[in-house]
Amino acid sequence: MTEVFVNMGEISSAKNHGILTTVGLGSCIGVTLYDHKVKVGVMGHIFLPRSRSNDQGAPPGKYADTGIPAMIQEALRLGASKSRLQAKLAGGANLFPNLSLNTISIGQQNIQAVTELLTQHGIPIVGQDVAGNHGRKMRFFVDNGVVTVTAIGKEPVQI
Amino acid sequence: MNEQKLDFLRELAVIGTGHATIALSQMLQGRMFKLVVPDAQMLPFTEAADYMGGLEQVVVGIFVVISGDVRGYMACLHPLDTARLLVRLLTGQETEEIDELGRSALQELGNIMVTSFLNALSKMTNLLMMPSVPGLAIDMAGAVWESILAGAEVTNEVTVIRTKFSAEGEEIEGHIIFLPDEDDFRKIARQFGLENLG
Repeated sequence: MTEVFVNMGEISSAKNHGILTTVGLGSCIGVTLYDHKVKVGVMGHIFLPRSRSNDQGAPPGKYADTGIPAMIQEALRLGASKSRLQAKLAGGANLFPNLSLNTISIGQQNIQAVTELLTQHGIPIVGQDVAGNHGRKMRFFVDNGVVTVTAIGKEPVQI
Repeated sequence: MNEQKLDFLRELAVIGTGHATIALSQMLQGRMFKLVVPDAQMLPFTEAADYMGGLEQVVVGIFVVISGDVRGYMACLHPLDTARLLVRLLTGQETEEIDELGRSALQELGNIMVTSFLNALSKMTNLLMMPSVPGLAIDMAGAVWESILAGAEVTNEVTVIRTKFSAEGEEIEGHIIFLPDEDDFRKIARQFGLENLG
C-alpha cells in the first residue's frame, strides 16, 4: 500500500486506499478528516494556530485557520460529503514544559484552534491523542479510517 | 540568497561553536573536538522540516530562548548514543535510561555550551545576549525540531546556523543551532561593519 508522508505545513489526501503518515509531531497538530462512505481521507500537519500578515504565500496547511478550510475543500473535491466528515487529532504536545514561552503552550493553542474550527464547521472529533510532553507519529489508513499514534517508549494507540 | 550574509553567518558559527566546544572539552577531561565546517542557510519554511533529517531518530534536544539586545533561539541536538555517553562521562552512571540526574547533567551541559557561544558573540559585538533556563526534550528528532521552529514562530524563512562537532575516536557528536531574530541579526552584522546584510 502506498504511504505518503505529510510534512509540516502540508495537506495530503487519498481515496479508497493508501496510508497518510506524519512523523515527528511535537507542538504541531496532525488532523485527519474522513468520510467512511466514499473512503476519502485528508491529513494535515498544522504548525501554528493563526495565519499572520507577514507570512504571505505560506502554504494553507501551515496554520489552523487556513488549513482546516483547505482540508475540508480537499475532501469535498474528492467526493466527500461535509455532513459525513469526521476528524481525529494527534499532537499538540509541549516538549519543553519548563520553558514558558507563552502562558499557554503552542501545542495547547493548536489544539484549541483546531477544535474550535472543526466545531464551527460541524465536524465531530471522534478520536484524539493530544497534549502531554512527548512527540508522536500518526498513521491514517484510508481504506477504513483507522488512525494509529505511536510515541517513543509508549504502546501504540488506535484512535 | 545573499552569499555575503551566509559567509558572515558561518563565521559567527565558527566563533560561537568554537567557544562552546572548548567549554564542553573542559567538562570532559580535555577531550578535543573537531568542528565540521558550519552550515548557514536561509531555509524556506517548506524545507525546514527536512533540514534535520532522520525525523524518527531519538535525539536529545536542548532549547534556549535568547533575550537582550539580540533576541532569538538556540538549540543543541545530540543523537541518543552521544547523550548516553555524555551522561556517563559527566555522572559516572552506566545506564541505558537517562534518568533525572542524567537529564539535569545534559541540561547543565547545554546551558554551558549555549552560554559560551553567546558570550563569545556578545564580547565581539558588545550586544547583550542572555540565554533562558534551558528546556530539555528526549524524543523523535522531528518532534523536537518542529517544536523549536514553532517556538521561534518561523514565518516564510528561517536563518539557521548549524555546526556539527565530534570527538576523535569517540561517539560524541552534536549540532549547535542558532536562530537569530531577523532584525536583531542585522544589529550583529552592523557591529562587524557590515551594513547591508540580509
